[in-house]
Amino acid sequence: MDLPPHTDPCWQRLATGGLAKLRTQHLGTQLMMKRMERSAEPVNVKVAEIQAFFAKWQKVLPQEVAQLARL
Amino acid sequence: MHKMTSVQQAAQKIRDGRRLSIAGTVEALMQLPKGEWVGGSIPYFMGDEGGMVANADQVFVTDLSDLGQISVATYATADIHLVTERAPDNGLSLLILPCGSSVHRRFAAEAPNFKDAFLKPTVGWIAGVHLDDIGKKTPVVIDGRTGEFYEDRGAVLYLALPPERLVQVDILNLFEPESGDVIRFDQTAFTVDACTINGEPASLSAYVHQRGLAHGRLPLVGDFAGASINASLQTVHADHVDLYAPVFPGVDYRFAKDLPDYAAAFREREAHQSVDGVAFSCNCILNYAFGELHGKQIGGPKGPFTFGEIAYQQLNQTQVTVRLL
Repeated sequence: MDLPPHTDPCWQRLATGGLAKLRTQHLGTQLMMKRMERSAEPVNVKVAEIQAFFAKWQKVLPQEVAQLARL
Repeated sequence: MHKMTSVQQAAQKIRDGRRLSIAGTVEALMQLPKGEWVGGSIPYFMGDEGGMVANADQVFVTDLSDLGQISVATYATADIHLVTERAPDNGLSLLILPCGSSVHRRFAAEAPNFKDAFLKPTVGWIAGVHLDDIGKKTPVVIDGRTGEFYEDRGAVLYLALPPERLVQVDILNLFEPESGDVIRFDQTAFTVDACTINGEPASLSAYVHQRGLAHGRLPLVGDFAGASINASLQTVHADHVDLYAPVFPGVDYRFAKDLPDYAAAFREREAHQSVDGVAFSCNCILNYAFGELHGKQIGGPKGPFTFGEIAYQQLNQTQVTVRLL
């Protein structure tokens, strides 16, 4: 499944709390989610990190990628 | 390959040009020739016959040479943050850190914030000593290229994978959190006391003593977006608690439910998991000790019982397994 385009508003939502709603059992995703939740970095930095993460792992995270646009 | 071998077999592999990560006693590691390998001190292993203490003739060898391009490096405390930044774009970093060292403590506290920490997975373990030698001997890592032992550097074996392959890191944590009191901390620390319990200011040491948990068999279990990440109790003092891994602000911790039979619990969980394709695994010395695993088979992958495990960040009382997809 393809990732939402970089300009999709879902990325902003994910970086501002939406990511916490993601359902996953994937360890790397869970730890990344916690890092994002605890991070005080600017939203644009978080957006870039979340996009890079799912771009790297999208092949093994089809269920997670399918959730992104609706979170 | 991820298995116990004789020192002679490991030495031959090094001479054959294999690039290895090796666990064993200092006495065993000292016998190995120079080459492209890194190692760390630990005498405890899950072998074919169950939990065991290795002698100076045995080492546990992780050989990833056939899976991709291997390189090795060491890092001091000041530059350990580069361990992920300098990792291959697609691959794995297999890191060993000496327990209690400043490089260990910095990694444990900061690893989740290292650049590319979740794009370039780091796994590995914390080097230790025989339990009878705690306080008498110092855990070490070794840079096989020079034969130098280090008490305060991290040693890493990097595996660069072809683009079509990915690393899968899994953990097996036998401990489940209680449903009761939620404990939170306001700083990242290995030594703690001030906390909140269910939102009220509290003393962790007083709480631990009051609940009769000072034996340390049960870890704090942190909720990391659904992943249970343990911080185990090292020593409970009158006014503070020393931990084997740091706790973090913004994380809900609960004490673990009791676990009466570690070996049975491991066997039950391992029975549902294949060991096919395991490239690396390690387990925790506290599981070995509290679970009385010496001489007991638990199924699942083999590997060292270590003074802490690494799966992106430091863990306690957890089995880490790496497969390649």
